[in-house]
Amino acid sequence: MADAVENKKNIAEGVPTVTLTIDGRETTVPKGTTVLMAARGLGIHIPTFCWHPKLKPMGSCRMCYVEIEKMPKLQVSCALEAMDGMVVLTDSDLVKRGRRAIIEFILMNHPLDCPTCDKGGECDLQDQTFAHGVDDSRFDFQKYRFTEGTEGSTFDDLRIGPEIVLNRNRCILCYKCVRANKEAFGEYDLGAYERGNIMEIHRAPGRQVDNPFSGNLVEICPVGALTNTDWRYKIRVWLTQTTSSICPFSSSGVNTLLYKDDHQQKIFRTTSRPNDDIDDGWLADVTRYGYQIATSPDRLQTPLIKKDGQQVPATWKEALEIINKRLNEIKDKKGRVCIGGIVSPSLDNATLHSFSKLIRVTLGSNNIDYRTQYRMLPKEPENVYDAMSARSFKISDIDDSDVIVAFGSDLVKEHPNEYLRIRKACNFHSASVYSVNPYRVKSADVARREMIYKVGTEEVFLNGLCLAAIEAGMAEGGDLKEKISPSTAAEAAAICGVDAEHLKELAAAMANGRKVTFIAGELVSRSRERLCISSALANLTRLLGLENKGQVSILPHYANSFGAGKLGLLPQPPEGIRNALTELWGAWPEAEPLTTDGMLINMKKEEVNGCIALGCNPVMLYPDREFARESLEKLDFLLVADLYETETTGLADVVLPLASWAEYDGRYINLEGRVQRANRALKPRFESKPGYEIVEAIAEQIGDKLYESSDQCEQEISRLVESSNVQPLPDKYFDVRPAEEESDEEYPIALFVGDDPHHSGHLTEKANSLFNFCGEAYIEMSSELAKKLDLKEGDSARVESKVGKIIVPVRISTTINNDVVFIPRNFSSTTVTALLMRKKRTDRVKISKVVN
Amino acid sequence: MKEILKALVDVIWKMPQGLLVTFKHMFKKPITLDYPKKKEPMAPRFKGLHYLERYEDGSERCVCCGLCAAACPADAVYMEPDENENGERLAKVYEINMLRCIFCGFCEEACPEEAIFLGREYEFATDSREGFIYSKDQLLVPHPRKESAFKRTIRRIRKIYGVEESR
Ligand code: SF4
Ligand code: SF4
Ligand code: SF4
Ligand code: FES
Repeated sequence: MADAVENKKNIAEGVPTVTLTIDGRETTVPKGTTVLMAARGLGIHIPTFCWHPKLKPMGSCRMCYVEIEKMPKLQVSCALEAMDGMVVLTDSDLVKRGRRAIIEFILMNHPLDCPTCDKGGECDLQDQTFAHGVDDSRFDFQKYRFTEGTEGSTFDDLRIGPEIVLNRNRCILCYKCVRANKEAFGEYDLGAYERGNIMEIHRAPGRQVDNPFSGNLVEICPVGALTNTDWRYKIRVWLTQTTSSICPFSSSGVNTLLYKDDHQQKIFRTTSRPNDDIDDGWLADVTRYGYQIATSPDRLQTPLIKKDGQQVPATWKEALEIINKRLNEIKDKKGRVCIGGIVSPSLDNATLHSFSKLIRVTLGSNNIDYRTQYRMLPKEPENVYDAMSARSFKISDIDDSDVIVAFGSDLVKEHPNEYLRIRKACNFHSASVYSVNPYRVKSADVARREMIYKVGTEEVFLNGLCLAAIEAGMAEGGDLKEKISPSTAAEAAAICGVDAEHLKELAAAMANGRKVTFIAGELVSRSRERLCISSALANLTRLLGLENKGQVSILPHYANSFGAGKLGLLPQPPEGIRNALTELWGAWPEAEPLTTDGMLINMKKEEVNGCIALGCNPVMLYPDREFARESLEKLDFLLVADLYETETTGLADVVLPLASWAEYDGRYINLEGRVQRANRALKPRFESKPGYEIVEAIAEQIGDKLYESSDQCEQEISRLVESSNVQPLPDKYFDVRPAEEESDEEYPIALFVGDDPHHSGHLTEKANSLFNFCGEAYIEMSSELAKKLDLKEGDSARVESKVGKIIVPVRISTTINNDVVFIPRNFSSTTVTALLMRKKRTDRVKISKVVN
Repeated sequence: MKEILKALVDVIWKMPQGLLVTFKHMFKKPITLDYPKKKEPMAPRFKGLHYLERYEDGSERCVCCGLCAAACPADAVYMEPDENENGERLAKVYEINMLRCIFCGFCEEACPEEAIFLGREYEFATDSREGFIYSKDQLLVPHPRKESAFKRTIRRIRKIYGVEESR
């Protein structure tokens, strides 16, 4: 009874409840709860195989049997709704017998090859056979063995994807993999075929299981039927130690667990560390296999210094002395301001913050930026773009939003976990999803309405939404109508090339929605017109009052992008942060601040002569490769710290080996503003050092120690983070006058550049498994376009823009269906940024077939 | 004076008595063994140096499952698994540190593949610590033996632990 009273207190007012008795204890649960969950709420464990907390119940394994009074047969608790007055027994003799029979049945065809099975030691079937099974077998006949496709091999292992191995003999047909693939990820490359004894899980005919979430299938498989190749035959799970960490590639800050062996100083795999506020226990493959960037043998081993045009290995002492000397030389020649600092937003707080202090206080320069991949960054401080990209946002709020808009974002590539959330909102809460993009993306598969706008008309579309809302009388426009153009929704729709009705439908949905989530992605943040687009978005937000009933955000892209903003690693941080920093450091540099763009321009003019690049690779990722390279070449002194030799380190005078995120304790701030910690799993490999140690060592060499201890730095950071709040949006509408979109007859096709679904940034190509998924750049286009250009899958295409050309293989897209192309930016063998121009809004190319 | 007399008595009377015992032993069967020429017969359950068995076709039985290492109370077994070109699992590294090993035979019992056995060899002294770490090559028997021979050993082990022979 006490339980029932206790539980009832935790249930929200007005929710209908039921009260039932489980093993003699009474409990009250919301109506619709399953008996299994009710029992778990009481701390009663019922064994399961096919039940998964994030999937709909299926009831295929029958392991979760319970006895219910007045029901003649045993019932599966995972799929049975709790009813008022039910009397449930979870541990009666009948239940025990039932479980025993189920285990015996499951083991009927199971090969019992635990010694060679990678799941051994963490296998649900092992554990539950031990706990509930019998120790003998009554079956006399031969076990059924799947050999089709594996003839001649000993273990019947079948590679069904670049990183997945399937052993059908071990499968217990719980369908978790197929269900997760379909329900949670929207992928159909794995299925169940045949029936009865010969039923099998297999990849879809002619397909590979290579979707960007495929690693999860391995993790949720209760037995060793699905295993991944990175973990295959490497180590036994009980010999590993675990370290909790977070994903260094995604801005969501997905929680992970690293399995490592201290003796071998190696990480063996990553699994999820379910956090329902962030990731629901799903990891994208880039998170799961990305740990391999730490263990790759290609890591930089020692510092390198340039001698007679050659980079030669050196000791840390030598390197630091040179750094000190050269920085001093630049200072003597020109005064302090001619040094720039660019830094990767994937680094931890301590590194970012101490780097900021090094540049601002020790070197006295204001040139610091973490946005090395964006073109034409705005100079004005406190602009609406900065405000819109740091709104308060909660990932778990997506779940119960009833209207979700994904705008200008290929979610699967940029924010895989948010995509899964949106799917969940659709599956479980029937949310209406609107996908608005210049081309069709994978994540549009859950959309109620997909809208494809003309390339480069983002702000017109948003203005059109405002106008549609005003025209339909859904909102009071005030003076907004005069401030934006065009003047009617129909006109805007025509310019964007979308149906005016659809525009109206979306405006109505957002105006009438109970809870609205509006996500804008990289197509906004990377656009040259980001200020204009964010102003339009701010107008829309204010007009429809979206912040009062939901959330609007231009999501940041990298693990600590949000943190870098909060810590003021911008040339002109918002007033509040700036004051806080001045107070902490007692100084603020006078010099005029420069963004990454500004720095590169001034480097070219030889007005910035020294640069420190921490963990970033602008030559590969800045959207104008030649420009970035020429600028950096003009420098008197370039210092680069990175994990690997990159194109940027190739230009450097001194290269320092940087430790990977797994090699030190670091804190990161995810896109919700949540501070999370990634713990140290390994010793820094070779002679590498964590970022903050490198920064501290440089400062010390210059003779200006930054912090007495790392605690001091951490304290400053927490004060900063606490003091900075979400900037309120100004109480006015912005002028949004869309610029005329330039077109080009000679280069007709719009090019989009982004991450491959299995990669992020410039490091992941070094991760073996991710390389196996995709190891080289490609050009993705619709089959119609390919036909027009006389190209087939796999053909080499010459892609030319005004400034460069590259040759890449063709891939026929399963999603894109208009005349745009996509090339991933993650591969150093073919750097697509060679085609881009920093001043252009839309990159345009022409494509021809390479005939050999 | 008295002492001198006492000493004389000891020499003349007691010393031959003692020597007599010595002489008697010259004609008795010695209780030591002429090791290493001759050796003590072994107890049937003697546990000596380990060896790794092979299948009759010559392939290794050990699949590097790690159970022997898990069972070992002395933490003497170390291994790293690997995959061969047929996709089979086998040991890349398999080491037993004979200085740590207490010759309890738990590894033998744990092994599900009937791969590791404690043999009857006990003469493996060397002069370095490293020499006592036996690698897989040293442990593997050079030629496969008839299965029946070690099946008997297994049956014995199973009997001791009350597990019936089920195959
Ligand atoms: S492969 Fe694994 S997850 Fe899929 S049905 Fe079989 S046992 Fe279940
Ligand atoms: S005999 Fe005992 S101590 Fe020696 S290796 Fe085997 S389990 Fe370990
Ligand atoms: S000897 Fe036996 S128990 Fe030890 S790893 Fe090899 S197969 Fe496993
Ligand atoms: S867990 Fe309930 S039937 Fe499988």
